[in-house]
Amino acid sequence: MLMYLNLFILLQSTGDTAEQTIEQTQQVITQITSAKIAQALIAIAFAYILIKVVDKLINWFSEQVAKERRLQVKQFLPFLRMMVLTITIVFLMNLFLHLSRDNLFAVTGTIAVALGFAFKDYASSIVAGIIGLFEAPYRLGDRVQLGDNYGEVVTYGLRGIRLRTPEDNIVTIPHNKIWTDSISNANMGALEAQVVTHFYLHHSVDVELVKKILYRIAHTSKYTHLKLPILVWVEETRWGTRFQLKSYPLDARDEFIYKTDLTTRAKQVFAKYNLPYPRYLNREDEDTSSQ
Amino acid sequence: MGGLFEGFQNWLHNSRELLLSRFPTDEKEVQEPEVSLTELPPSLRSKLVAAVENLPSNSADLQAIYSKLDEGLEEWRHNPKTADNSLVVLSSPVTTVLRILTDNLQDWAAECEIPLRYLQLNGRPAHKDIITQLRQQLDREKSVTEAKQPEIVVIPNLNWCYLRCFDGLEGIDYLQDVLLQDHSRFWIIGSGLVGWEYLNCISNFEAYCGNSLILPKLEGEQLQTWLQPIIDEFGISFGEGLTDNSDAVGVITSHSMRKGNGDREESQNNQTKYFDRLASVSEGVSSVAIEVFLRSICYEHVESDTEIESGILRVETPELPSLNRFDQGDLYVLYSLLLHGDLTLSALADSLGDPQSLVKGRVRILRRMRIIQQQDDTLTVNPIHYPRLKKELDNNNFIIDESD
Repeated sequence: MLMYLNLFILLQSTGDTAEQTIEQTQQVITQITSAKIAQALIAIAFAYILIKVVDKLINWFSEQVAKERRLQVKQFLPFLRMMVLTITIVFLMNLFLHLSRDNLFAVTGTIAVALGFAFKDYASSIVAGIIGLFEAPYRLGDRVQLGDNYGEVVTYGLRGIRLRTPEDNIVTIPHNKIWTDSISNANMGALEAQVVTHFYLHHSVDVELVKKILYRIAHTSKYTHLKLPILVWVEETRWGTRFQLKSYPLDARDEFIYKTDLTTRAKQVFAKYNLPYPRYLNREDEDTSSQ
Repeated sequence: MGGLFEGFQNWLHNSRELLLSRFPTDEKEVQEPEVSLTELPPSLRSKLVAAVENLPSNSADLQAIYSKLDEGLEEWRHNPKTADNSLVVLSSPVTTVLRILTDNLQDWAAECEIPLRYLQLNGRPAHKDIITQLRQQLDREKSVTEAKQPEIVVIPNLNWCYLRCFDGLEGIDYLQDVLLQDHSRFWIIGSGLVGWEYLNCISNFEAYCGNSLILPKLEGEQLQTWLQPIIDEFGISFGEGLTDNSDAVGVITSHSMRKGNGDREESQNNQTKYFDRLASVSEGVSSVAIEVFLRSICYEHVESDTEIESGILRVETPELPSLNRFDQGDLYVLYSLLLHGDLTLSALADSLGDPQSLVKGRVRILRRMRIIQQQDDTLTVNPIHYPRLKKELDNNNFIIDESD
């Protein structure tokens, strides 16, 4: 008898809780009509088109302004995208939910819990993306090294960025990498990015001559940004002498073609002066491994 | 509401004349039939171009050069060992100082009683031959150097002494050595500003030279005096068309020629305004001003009883043509041309480090756009585009002209 009584009370309390939940849900969710669904679809479509238009417009405008302003203009893009998305989400919530103060707490709490369990990484990336907008470890147009990937940031999305690598691949990397990974940024919003070109020559080469050649190669390249410093570093290694030519291209986007130009022309001059390359690298390697 | 709108419409109709009278209009101008302006007939244009080419160097440039030369030479004569022994005359890259220096220095040197020697180059030698040519012409025998016989050496165009490629800068290395070596020589060097900035950037060339003089920007009055012989020869008319409250120079009709003294004064006034605007548009660069001047001249047919075609030349508002958008490859070509002043196609390819076939196509497109002009084998930038092109290149990180 007592057991039946307990069961009855339990069932009644469960029924009450369910009723309360239904009641609360009814309080939060407004009546869903076909008109509202249509409005929501239009809003989503409009937001999508607007984001695409803003993308095109900002990219077009950034190519029209003076080169030194290009990246500054591009920085507006993530902010504008975020703004369009936020407005759309608020509009949709307003359309389908009664957003009183209590309801707002309930909804945000529910969403937070749902996201916390189901979309932990996704939510983490979004939050990192928002923080990244202000902290700016990378921005559109920057040339960054993230893990094994190096390239130009071509898109700054809600969840992650897209890098264009030297091989012209597009790599998508979530924003939440900024919590844990180190990020190496070559230009930090500036148009100029230093290019380091390596040359390897035999120990016996005349270092002064090679330095003079490398400076001249940089000075006569059409890509070189002559207002910025040009440096040659020399380093002695076991297998030869390593020269590093550090210079800046006029446009950071020319990084790889610039490096190719410097290397090609330097090799032509090295050949003219019969400058020897390190020849016994393989044999030395063999010797080292056999010891 | 409808009544109110109708009332407003009636009021507007009735007060139309009163309202329009508040705006300054010249009834005579309105009544005058529109004149059709056409481009200059080719024969007339070539005559004009020939006349412009035969103009003497403008006196403002000459005055500035003579005054600076007298000053520098005097100082060098008094202290040959310590004073600067060179003067660099700089001009925009589309205005070569070559002609000024070759045509006008003989008399000045004769007055100074010092022998004058020119570096005899008719163009840029092949880049591997530059150093040989310079050595042949500028090396002095040891006995002559020791005798300390004073001499003035003129390098009319420094741009021909280098090419932006690995071997092409050996001439500059040589000049750096030779400039400071012999104090019994006074050097007069002409150069374009873009090339000069480039040399300073890569080798601090100005440290080896003494004073430098940038050709002064020409004022409206100076341009007017300089171009007056052409205006007189071709009867180019400047007349009515400008109102007091207008900044721009309007179209000027030939009728003014037949009007009285009052109109003649107005014509003079318009002429002054025209040349002030020409100076402003061309940024005081003579070669740009000439191109804009030629572009502003129009031809008006005049009906006459005789069968011989006749017309009047008159000027329109002097304006620069708009500049197309260039891609980065075009900018490299244009900068290279401004850097060297003039280039053959092969030299341009060498300076860009690109194959000639690739450069050829790009040059053809730019020629079609009239940005580049070609005379015989030599390519130059059309001076009329220089002011806008300079800004475009400056915006794209190219070293242009620090003096601006």
